[in-house]
Amino acid sequence: MTRTLVFMGFILFLFTAVVAFSNTEPGTDELERLDTSAFEKPQRPGAVFGHDDHNEMAGIEDCDVCHHVYDGKNRVEGESSEDSPCSECHSLKANPENLISLSVAYHKRCRNCHFETNKGPVLCGECHIK
Amino acid sequence: MNAFIAFIMGPMVWIAFLIFILGLIFKLVVIIKDVNARESYVYSYLSVKYSLRSIFAWLIPFFPQSTRQSPVFYAISYIFHLLLFIVPVFLMSHIVLVNEAFQLSWFALDDTLADILTVIVVLALVFFAVRRQTVPEVKYLTSFNDYVLLIIVALPFITGFLAYHQFFFYRQMVIAHVISGELVLILIPFSKFSHMVMAPLTRAYMGSEFGNVRHAKDW
Amino acid sequence: MPKETTTEDVPIVKQKNTDEAVEAGLARLTPERIKTTINQVLENETGPKFKAYVETCMHCGLCAEACLYFLSNDRDPSYSPAGKVKQTIWEMLEKKGDVSTDFLRRAVHIAHTECNVCKRCSMYCPFGIDIAYLMLMVRRICHKLEITPLYIQDTVNSHSATMNQMWVKEDEWIDTLQWQEEDAREEFENLRIPLDKVGADIMYSVIAPEPKFQAGLIYQAATIMHAAGIDWTMPSSPGWDNSNMAMFTGDNEISGRIARAFYETAARLKVKRIVMGECGHAFRSIYDVGNRWVGWAMPPFEVVHAIEFYHQLLTSGRITIADKYKKTVTLHDPCNVSRGRGLHDMAREVTNMVCDSFIEMTPNREHNYCCGAGGGVINCGPPYKGERMINNRVKAEQLKATGAEVLIAPCHNCHSGLEDIVHHYDLNMEVKFLGDIIFETMEKKIFNPGD
Repeated sequence: MTRTLVFMGFILFLFTAVVAFSNTEPGTDELERLDTSAFEKPQRPGAVFGHDDHNEMAGIEDCDVCHHVYDGKNRVEGESSEDSPCSECHSLKANPENLISLSVAYHKRCRNCHFETNKGPVLCGECHIK
Repeated sequence: MNAFIAFIMGPMVWIAFLIFILGLIFKLVVIIKDVNARESYVYSYLSVKYSLRSIFAWLIPFFPQSTRQSPVFYAISYIFHLLLFIVPVFLMSHIVLVNEAFQLSWFALDDTLADILTVIVVLALVFFAVRRQTVPEVKYLTSFNDYVLLIIVALPFITGFLAYHQFFFYRQMVIAHVISGELVLILIPFSKFSHMVMAPLTRAYMGSEFGNVRHAKDW
Repeated sequence: MPKETTTEDVPIVKQKNTDEAVEAGLARLTPERIKTTINQVLENETGPKFKAYVETCMHCGLCAEACLYFLSNDRDPSYSPAGKVKQTIWEMLEKKGDVSTDFLRRAVHIAHTECNVCKRCSMYCPFGIDIAYLMLMVRRICHKLEITPLYIQDTVNSHSATMNQMWVKEDEWIDTLQWQEEDAREEFENLRIPLDKVGADIMYSVIAPEPKFQAGLIYQAATIMHAAGIDWTMPSSPGWDNSNMAMFTGDNEISGRIARAFYETAARLKVKRIVMGECGHAFRSIYDVGNRWVGWAMPPFEVVHAIEFYHQLLTSGRITIADKYKKTVTLHDPCNVSRGRGLHDMAREVTNMVCDSFIEMTPNREHNYCCGAGGGVINCGPPYKGERMINNRVKAEQLKATGAEVLIAPCHNCHSGLEDIVHHYDLNMEVKFLGDIIFETMEKKIFNPGD
């Protein structure tokens, strides 16, 4: 029974230690991140994303894989949208004109592909690195 | 690895929720059948009015005499049980996942607040464990299983906290978080966690006996 | 070595008193019989309710605060309600009935003498688990194993043979009533104790100790009935006793027989309602428990406890108080009429109508501490009296704190138990029934039919 007490004490210690050191993690500032300025009050730091490195590693050459253009419900083949920000179509909240909100668009764009190819980060903190 | 994550965050979530809900329904059906077969007299006394009277009286903080006699335990217990629902249901990360899957969304807690509430849940569990060690009448009743229950509830909260802060083993931590959360759901119908539905039932029966037959309060 | 000690985690530290019936009963038992009996009761005589109570308990220990035994024994956990369940039912379930005679000696002691089945703990358990029911289930098992304590078993034997608790013979019963009638007629010239009056408004019923050694209570009741001009009767045949000790030993078969004989007597006399003297367990037996054994959700007759009856007589002006009682009084709420029937406020109104200065005791009403005697505990008799006094310490402190001269206890079991407490702890209080005080203070009207 004392063992349980010690165990609980250990967990408590772990918590305090972890909270105390949580703001001192260095070295993430220089990472290349996605721009979060379109969000009102982002709760997490922007996703870490090196555009050219990613595409090179993933072997993506066509821009419209990500920078697609939709006409109502159908994707317009051959056209791409790399000159306009994602938030131009994907509003912050889903609405009848655009069913996919900005954050969902980002999440699905990256993660679905990573799941399909079984490569790359898929968990929240793997992109939103603190 | 991504395929495994896709499984525990996809089909496994469905399985866990199905076991949780169907398990509880199954448990209730067994009880009702059992009552019909062996103790149908229960219906002679059960009353909706007095059941609800008793349940609501016991939901009001510090209304029952018992709660006033052990205020610290009850206060922590109330907060703990509320947070057990509030934190997971209103956690932004969870809502984001639900939103992506079902286009549903609702009010989300601020991440920092959720973080603090998580620590409170774990501290409450530590309090329960210490209480089991130190209060003689509780210690006397406590068996190993009671600690196992506390640890099982603590796991999703501890792993969730550690994962959120990305301290170490991030990927493993999230996987542990998802699996332990599903474990809790799966265990609810088959363990003492079932007091989630059993307690209102026993309360309802006692409340009905006190209201209908005894004409007295039971709080 | 055979597995003798059942109790790695429940050490039998206290070798408590038992009595010869328990010891002789234990000596007759074989491991097979113990196992079969326990499993037979647990499998065939319990159901989803029992299962829910055992499964749902989270071992939180909050019930402890409710228990007179726990509080009086310096918060010894083995006296807490759930602690008693742990030492009895849990282990029987865990061992699947394979328990030793040492275990049973302890179990019968706990269930019969360390729990008054007062149900106070059900009001402290957040889930409303009925621990008294679980203790009664232990008593049921003890009954089937024939290890019920001697004195209470004797009262059950008496019930079985005579339909009353005290071996009162039929002629003695009638003789006692006529004797009381004769005495009372010196004070009230045309007073009657009408026997077997078919169609009377009220059947008045008492417990067997009244004719046996408290006949004056029947005298008092008769004078109150007379002064109030009530159309009443008492039965001359077996079935007059409303007490039911079998209810407390788990002898459900005899318990049902007793209740049936009682209701049938009232039915034979075609009375409108049953009024009963100041007894708690008897009230529980005919208002709440006995009816269930004979298949009625609620009693087939209107059952009125003395408190409610006095309240009706006083508020309707059928009896008037000549001079209010002067001494300071306090009121003990018996479990079976307060927590068991919600008569606590009425009891206070009656007390205030007949007494000048009423001092409340704390806790009170539904939350009053048990008298420590009810639920068949006092009926286990002298072998256990010393322990009972230790177990009632908190009750004594509660009584003492009121500083009242007189303690009103509208229940026979409470009354006897509280008298023991008052003597043992030198409390210098008089214990009285409400009827005693009403008799003392009422206008002794002589009732003439037609008035």
